[in-house]
Amino acid sequence: MGGLQKKKFERGSATNYITRNRARKKLQLSLPDFRRLCILKGIYPHEPKHKKKVNKGSTAPRTFYLLKDIRFLLHEPIVGKFREYKIFVRKLKKAYGKTEWSAVERLRENKPTYKLDHIIKERYPTFIDALRDIDDALCMCFLFSTFARTGKCHVQTIQLCRRLTVEWMNYVIASRSLRKVFLSIKGIYYQAEVMGQLITWVVPYQFSHDHPVDVDYRVMATFTELYTTLLGFVSFRLYSSLNLVYPPKLDSNGESEPKEESEDDYAMNSESYLEKLSALSASLARVVSSADEEEAQLDQFPSEGEDMEKMEAREKELKQQEAQKKLFEGLKFYLNREVPRESLAFVIRCFGGQVSWDKSVCIGSTYDVTDETITHQIIDRPSVGKQYINRYYIQPQWLYDCVNAKILLPVEDYFLGVTLPPHLSPFVEEKEGDYVPPEKLKMMALQRGEKPGNEQEEDEEEEEEEEGEQEEEEEQEEDDNGDEEDDEEEVAEEKNLKKMEEQRSQDKSLHVKVTPGKLKVENKARLEQEEKAEEKRLAIMMMKKKEKYLYDKIMFGKKRKVREANKLAAKRKAHDDSEKAKKKKARK
Amino acid sequence: MILTFENLSSNMAAARRLKRVAISQPGFLTLNPKVTPTDLVSSRRKRVNKNKKKNWNKYSDVQDVEEFLEDLVNLKFCFLCEEAAEPVKGKKRKGKSSRPLRIDLILQHDSLVAPPKDVLAYQKPNAKKLRRTAERAEKLAANGVVPRSKKRLLNRTVVDRMSKKTETEANNNPERDFYDIWGQETKDLGEPWYLQQTRKKLVKRPEKLNEKPSVLPAVEVIAPGGSYNPDFFSHQELLREAHEVELKKKKVEDKLERQLAYNKADTATEETILREQVEGLVEESEEEEEKDAPKEDGEEVAVGAIAVADKKTERQRKREKAEKMKEQQRLTERRQTEQQQQLFQLRSIKTSIKQQEETTQIRQKRRKAKEEAQKAQPRRLGKLKFQPQDMEVQLSDELAGSLRQLKPEGSVLMDRFKSLQKRNLIEPRERAKFKRRLKVKYVEKRAFKEIS
Repeated sequence: MGGLQKKKFERGSATNYITRNRARKKLQLSLPDFRRLCILKGIYPHEPKHKKKVNKGSTAPRTFYLLKDIRFLLHEPIVGKFREYKIFVRKLKKAYGKTEWSAVERLRENKPTYKLDHIIKERYPTFIDALRDIDDALCMCFLFSTFARTGKCHVQTIQLCRRLTVEWMNYVIASRSLRKVFLSIKGIYYQAEVMGQLITWVVPYQFSHDHPVDVDYRVMATFTELYTTLLGFVSFRLYSSLNLVYPPKLDSNGESEPKEESEDDYAMNSESYLEKLSALSASLARVVSSADEEEAQLDQFPSEGEDMEKMEAREKELKQQEAQKKLFEGLKFYLNREVPRESLAFVIRCFGGQVSWDKSVCIGSTYDVTDETITHQIIDRPSVGKQYINRYYIQPQWLYDCVNAKILLPVEDYFLGVTLPPHLSPFVEEKEGDYVPPEKLKMMALQRGEKPGNEQEEDEEEEEEEEGEQEEEEEQEEDDNGDEEDDEEEVAEEKNLKKMEEQRSQDKSLHVKVTPGKLKVENKARLEQEEKAEEKRLAIMMMKKKEKYLYDKIMFGKKRKVREANKLAAKRKAHDDSEKAKKKKARK
Repeated sequence: MILTFENLSSNMAAARRLKRVAISQPGFLTLNPKVTPTDLVSSRRKRVNKNKKKNWNKYSDVQDVEEFLEDLVNLKFCFLCEEAAEPVKGKKRKGKSSRPLRIDLILQHDSLVAPPKDVLAYQKPNAKKLRRTAERAEKLAANGVVPRSKKRLLNRTVVDRMSKKTETEANNNPERDFYDIWGQETKDLGEPWYLQQTRKKLVKRPEKLNEKPSVLPAVEVIAPGGSYNPDFFSHQELLREAHEVELKKKKVEDKLERQLAYNKADTATEETILREQVEGLVEESEEEEEKDAPKEDGEEVAVGAIAVADKKTERQRKREKAEKMKEQQRLTERRQTEQQQQLFQLRSIKTSIKQQEETTQIRQKRRKAKEEAQKAQPRRLGKLKFQPQDMEVQLSDELAGSLRQLKPEGSVLMDRFKSLQKRNLIEPRERAKFKRRLKVKYVEKRAFKEIS
């Protein structure tokens, strides 16, 4: 026997962790500074597995950090800057107290500042790393850019956030990388695909802030400080990848040049440039004046079997994406003043549409309401005074739904004063057997290229049209100047009806042509199916007892899911029917 | 010793004093004619280093020189006065020093021939060379040639006062510029060893720090029921979820209430208060008797419990020992037979082992799944537990018909903050309460008082 007696808490997990206060003392920083440093350097508290061991026998709840992390922090040059800043504040206070204004001024001039560039490089060694973490940065910047310029945080920070968000939106427009949009009650969710990374961010609605009290603004501001730097470097890289000038400049020889007249009324000279950029209506200048962009083609590799199938699927997807990118190309939109301008302009421009608005709403409008070539006017009010025949008056939801559906949806459901179909979330992906809302089914059918031509639906549509007329009549009673609008509505409806008829007739002719060919295909398919079914049955028969039990269980689960989905669908139908009946009753 | 020394010193002082007294006598001549006896009395002679210029100024006697200079000035002044103001001649005469001394007049220069000019005073060293260079410079300047020294001055880079400002530009400056941070290679500033020793090289970040503390995505999209114009069923689903959350909260509240509940009958009524006050004053002999009865029973029971164990006899002990031995033997025999029998039970043993392994595997899987689920859970990082955000939900009648009428629910700021907490990036904590150190005293001002 012999040797030294082992003491408690001198080895093992007790030595691997350090409490927050001890770490703070080790770094000689105040708590806010320590917090800021940890956020900037990406060092987070850690929950030890055995708290009692780490806490030296005590079970009091404490915040722990890994000792090695704190040791790493000791080498950070910014720590010195924090200390300098502390001293600067002390000196400034003293000078103020003594009312030595010249000293105050001198100190102010030499205020110690620091840069986060090296931290960004250290935390995100490659560009892709940074891109993966950009979600947070975007959310934060969009959030801060909507803040009022009051005392909650530095005005400069807000301005910088605004600049960065505008740059980001311009990049997304230029690269046409927006994929999904979702209008929620909280804010607008966007998803873009940038360099193969799916990036999601949320933008609050404008002017919707009541500042919550239990949020630590200092912590949020620190995160923003880091994220603005990150986003700046990322957007520089993104711009250079597209051969765009950074900081962004408006393309001076673009065909849609913003009007110059109202600039002075709208913004100060110093701000007007950013404002024009943030109008999103003009395209950006390129470093190399735009030569025709080469269509990215998928590399062809000689491959066999399943790989081929996969390749084909991917190619198809790519084609679809390309088509989606040009969704609004050739369309000309006009935004009424009551719709959210920035969001809509962003979405329209992301898919190649042209957009304008009233001069007094924002800088950078490109054409007036009176322009005859406008195809769609986005409007969100029960009625309009003067209507043009050659354009659709639609509600803003149509745009968002089109983006999510990746096709141009029929306009009829989104006309003025029509009850809108539900706005579905594009972020849900239904698995097999889940309940799918009928609206989504309809959309999927449209995506596949089928036209909703069922008799029932026709009936419904007719009914809806009737309803529309009824509503219009009601409106007529209310409004004195509803006549014109009614006429125009009718005209538009007639047009639509004609169109639909034409389509139907085309469909019929097509059917006649196609049927003989189709039959064969069906036969083949059926044969294949039968073969497959047979194989499956045989496989089931060959199963072991245990496996069969499992298989039965799985199948039962699936069936149950389907049953539930069917139940929901039936419920929905009943609900719809009852609604319809109610409406009819109300009419009578 | 000290005493004697003092005596000695006093004697010496006395002797010195005597000497000074003798000197101060008017008949006594000193060696130094300038030193007056009064001076000697006030200050002792000092030994001074004469190799310091400072000391020359301080201790050398310049009085006679100064006096002479003063005289000179007076002379000049007198002449001027005589020229300017004749009428006050009488007054001037009072001072004897106003007239120049005869000796001075004798010494005055009275020759009419001007002294010869000192040629050297007018000569410049290198004058010819300088003149020539100046001429050449003029010529060159006329031709438009700028001399080298001037050129250097012109070419000197202007110290930019603004450059410092750009260096210390604030982090959140909205006009700040960015560059390609990932593209450029870091410049080699020197030897790696040198850089490391001078702390110019940053410490390498450990790989482990780049792992995220949670698997949750940065942005969690709201459920489909949270759409501004939701599908009926998804909206119902969301409402149901919110309802469940509320139920849970209610349950907790109810539980707390139940725990804090007390019997209503136990509250103090007038009657009970009265009884309490009169307690002991009224005789309650009957109750006491009743109480006494059960006490006796208890005592009996206690007595019965303590039973003294009898000592075992020799025989008994031997028999027990034998029984023990027998039992052990029996057990060993049985074990042996069992082991022999196991040879024939191999199959069943195998199956049992298999079963055990299966169960352990299942347990392992379950544990792993639990760990995975734990990864998405917020950790306990401080005093407080993570409190999920209130669910954003709009009731069916709150739903807006169109985008224009939409009333946004919840706050994105709160959502972001909670997301950071949920992903273990920051610890949940409460806002620090403001504590006032000194009490505030409210006093109505007099002017205000008059009105109210």
